[in-house]
Amino acid sequence: MKVRFWGTRGSLPVAQKAAAIRDKIATALVAADGRRFADLDEARTFADDELEFAVGGTYGGATSCVEIEAGDEFILCDLGSGAREFGLDAMARCARGHARVYHLFMSHFHWDHIMGFPFFVPVFDPETKIVIHSGHADAELALRRQQEEISFPVAFDWLRAQISFVTLETGKPYAIGAVTVELIEQNHSHKSYGYRFTDAAGKSVVYSTDSEHKVDRMDQEAAFVAFFGDCDLVICDTMYSLADSASMKEDWGHSSNVVAIDLCHQAQAKRLALFHHEPTYSDADIQRMHQESIRYEELTREAAPLAVICAYDGLTVEV
Amino acid sequence: MTQGTLDWTVETREGLRLIAPIGRVDETTATEFAERLAEEIAKAASDGHKRLAIDLAEIEYMSSRGLRGLTLAQRQSADSGITIVLARPNQIMREILAISRYDKVFQVFDDIDGI
Ligand SMILES: [Zn+2]
Ligand SMILES: [Zn+2]
Repeated sequence: MKVRFWGTRGSLPVAQKAAAIRDKIATALVAADGRRFADLDEARTFADDELEFAVGGTYGGATSCVEIEAGDEFILCDLGSGAREFGLDAMARCARGHARVYHLFMSHFHWDHIMGFPFFVPVFDPETKIVIHSGHADAELALRRQQEEISFPVAFDWLRAQISFVTLETGKPYAIGAVTVELIEQNHSHKSYGYRFTDAAGKSVVYSTDSEHKVDRMDQEAAFVAFFGDCDLVICDTMYSLADSASMKEDWGHSSNVVAIDLCHQAQAKRLALFHHEPTYSDADIQRMHQESIRYEELTREAAPLAVICAYDGLTVEV
Repeated sequence: MTQGTLDWTVETREGLRLIAPIGRVDETTATEFAERLAEEIAKAASDGHKRLAIDLAEIEYMSSRGLRGLTLAQRQSADSGITIVLARPNQIMREILAISRYDKVFQVFDDIDGI
């Protein structure tokens, strides 16, 4: 199983400004310290191996969209702005013979998780079958409303793909495509759902975003520990610091790196991907949050280590 | 110290109740930690103290459970007009307070006399 991150930003897409790129280049030039590079590849190797990720790269700015590659049919979590690029890439794969079947799993229908749908090109292909799964019964309403004329020029009824909606229930496993899927209800405005995907080899991935672990409802966490249990990769909403999520930003529907690590430790999960990054954070801010998360994991580790990775647009993880 | 429990010492000073838990505050001790904090806030209030200081010198470390217990205690104490402050975190606790940004929501003192 592979996990491909097409959009990792929370709430709103963001883009790098000219000054941020200039500062990355300036930092790289200082780090190169007069060194000469024979060609672009040598310079790329230098950028990959010797520059910090926040200098030589970027976490990207597209909103939530994560592909789970397992079996012959597409599996996708959420339709944030990252779905535009995924859609183009998927069409190219279909042109090379990939099945034109998409299983979409929606955490919820806030803007940042559906805004990519009107730009998701497979919806215009009559040969394409798209099944939209969610825990919400009002999924179709949310996607249709987004394409009403006041918001978008192309109405939902003009889409050519065979689109259907399926409402899933918590507490039971579903065999969909090449995976078994389970879901869990999460604390978030109008609710959200987390998904656990398990492939035929028994490898599993959890997608749990826009999920608030409330400070006065710590008793609810046992259900999440069970849901994350022994998971190979847990993708978690780590938008805020713990202090923010428990004070000023309480009830905003998000969680922290620190709580995600504690839950994964208890669940004995193997890897955690930090996800749904705060839109006001620069690359350097996200990198610092990642480093602090790795440190917190070390400081509080009681059993096997949990690898903490930081999701970025374009990252592929082998599970 | 037995696994899964905390030991506590309590002292009162001018306007201040000073409590010192010993051990680690993780999933197994977090409930006990939170319950004891609630009792200590009630006692500080009935004694007319304005501040409850938690001496962290003998706390090995605290997971988010313990930190969130501090937040709940802070809410409860605010209702009684009491401020919770933290003192003498070890190096690990100091890092955890910084990573969680709890050093921005609680006043942290390096020594007891400074409180
Ligand atoms: Zn979101
Ligand atoms: Zn949301």
